[in-house]
Amino acid sequence: MPSTAAARFDRPQSARIAITRHAGSVPLALALLVAVLLPLMLPNFLLMQVSTALAVALAILGLNLLLGFAGQVCLAQGALFACGAYTTAILVAQGGWPALATLPAAAAVAALAGIVIGLPALRLGGLQLAIVTFGVAVLTPQVILKFDRLTRGVTGITFDPPAPPAWLPVRPDLWLYALCVAAAAACAVLALRMTRDDSGRALRALRDNPLVATSLGVDLVRARLAAFAISSAFAGLGGGLFAILNGYVSPQSFLAGRSIEILIGAIVGGIGSVSGAFLGALFVVFVPEWTAELSPALGGLIYGACLIAMMLLARDGLVGLARRIAPTVFSLARKVLSTGTAAAAPGSHDNQETSP
Amino acid sequence: MQLLVQQIVDGLAAGAIYAALALALVLIFGATRIVNFGQSEMATFCAFLAWQLCEWGMPVALALSVSAVLAFVLGAAVFQLVVRPVSRASAETVVVVTLGLFLAFQALCLWLWGSDQRTFPALFPAGGWTVAGVRLTANNLGVMGVLCALALSLAALFRFSRLGLGLRAAAADADKSTIVGIRVEAMLMLGWGLASVVGFIAAVLVAPRLFLSPIMMAPVLVYALAAATLGGWTSAIGAVVGGLVIGVAESVGATFLPFIGSELRLLIPLALTLAVLLLRPQGLFGQQTAVRV
Repeated sequence: MPSTAAARFDRPQSARIAITRHAGSVPLALALLVAVLLPLMLPNFLLMQVSTALAVALAILGLNLLLGFAGQVCLAQGALFACGAYTTAILVAQGGWPALATLPAAAAVAALAGIVIGLPALRLGGLQLAIVTFGVAVLTPQVILKFDRLTRGVTGITFDPPAPPAWLPVRPDLWLYALCVAAAAACAVLALRMTRDDSGRALRALRDNPLVATSLGVDLVRARLAAFAISSAFAGLGGGLFAILNGYVSPQSFLAGRSIEILIGAIVGGIGSVSGAFLGALFVVFVPEWTAELSPALGGLIYGACLIAMMLLARDGLVGLARRIAPTVFSLARKVLSTGTAAAAPGSHDNQETSP
Repeated sequence: MQLLVQQIVDGLAAGAIYAALALALVLIFGATRIVNFGQSEMATFCAFLAWQLCEWGMPVALALSVSAVLAFVLGAAVFQLVVRPVSRASAETVVVVTLGLFLAFQALCLWLWGSDQRTFPALFPAGGWTVAGVRLTANNLGVMGVLCALALSLAALFRFSRLGLGLRAAAADADKSTIVGIRVEAMLMLGWGLASVVGFIAAVLVAPRLFLSPIMMAPVLVYALAAATLGGWTSAIGAVVGGLVIGVAESVGATFLPFIGSELRLLIPLALTLAVLLLRPQGLFGQQTAVRV
């Protein structure tokens, strides 16, 4: 009897170690597999929505880094998203750039804007930064309208989405989807690397105790500005993709609600987790779609209720919830199926983590 | 010159409304160290309740009183159900929760009453006087009168009553207050209820100027946040002064700065907020808190 008890005790632990060792690569590979299979299963309009979700996911991922690792409450992520979208649209429509070439520019412009927002954040506490960035979010559509010579005001900018290259015989929407997947994968890898190496550690130290961190040699100015720059670059890239997907930008797409939506995505998915960003993006893209038929107010109600409920019940979001529930589910499953569960356990865990 | 004086007078009236909402924000911050982003939408909800009661044939004064009581209950209930469980959590968590309140109450208004603009009954007579070429409307004077009464009665409550002493003690040091027999929980609940009533008063002052609609108060919130920051989050006088300053700056700035115009009005409170936070983070009247590490 004691030997079986020991084996029972050992197995989940070794499984857990294996999970942490491969935590980066296995879910990522699974997610890529899902991404490749999706176009085969989904109708066109759903695929476009998934592409939109991926674009939004980039902005959410950026906020995730900022909120989860740097502890900075930036409510202006929608403004940076708009920054990227308008950079792409203006460069394509008025500068005659090829659409793909504008994406790095979109990321760079948003990163610069993010650093400008980050500068006051060096001195402001969490609450004060939230107040200032809330103002920025509300001001965004007004600023777009004000510079109407560049942004064409209320009418917005229309431009042709990029066609797939001649050597690649695919539908245009599939090409756009592939672009989004590539960008999302690149950013996810970058984010994972960043959170696991020294810079991530430095950011977390700054979040938990700035005084101790700086006295241990962490450069607060550099680390925090870098966090803002990278987070904003993600948002800008997402915005650029968003503009390309729609072939159209207008101030209506970048009301204050956009910033709040990105925050909701981050919270629901789980701040401080990369897979959570994608889960959150699916939530904010698809839930309003489904609820709008019933009542226009329902989406807002669900959003509000979700924000509050998440903070009361699961501060680490759906991903965190899944992680906490997973061991309980495993042990239950183990009781039901007394043998052969150890091999299945890590697999089911991965599924839960990478369900987007 | 005449235009300038006129803009200042109009700005003061608008500022009085920002000040009222800022008072509500500061009350809550003083009691629980929380910035309630949902304040404006809770206030809109209560204003809609008042409107609904009027529609059902209740006299305006009675409808406003009943709604004020409901606003108090709402504030206390929100604190008890939603805010108290997270009151010891980090700033990010609390900001997210109050943003959730913002969204939920805005959507609730939209759901119950739709997005149509409604005419709220006027509280003050329509007339006015012209003094030396400057137009003073009864509504503007009335709004400023209400703000004065509100500020004075709150000041009196906090300064001279036993209840006010309890409220201040509970906010200053929860543990020591408990030891001397103050029911801290009840006091905080009372603070949230009071703030909700003050916010409701702000909404009732706004509603006749604009129209009653679910998004009526959202811009006011930006101004009120700026006002509270300018005045200092720990000071009620600061909230009033901050509100008036923001109101005047907005009105004068939008008229005299050609770049700002009426589109970028919101830039003025934002710029003022940022300037204050960078130059004097505790605000004009706030106290700097020193933390021993």
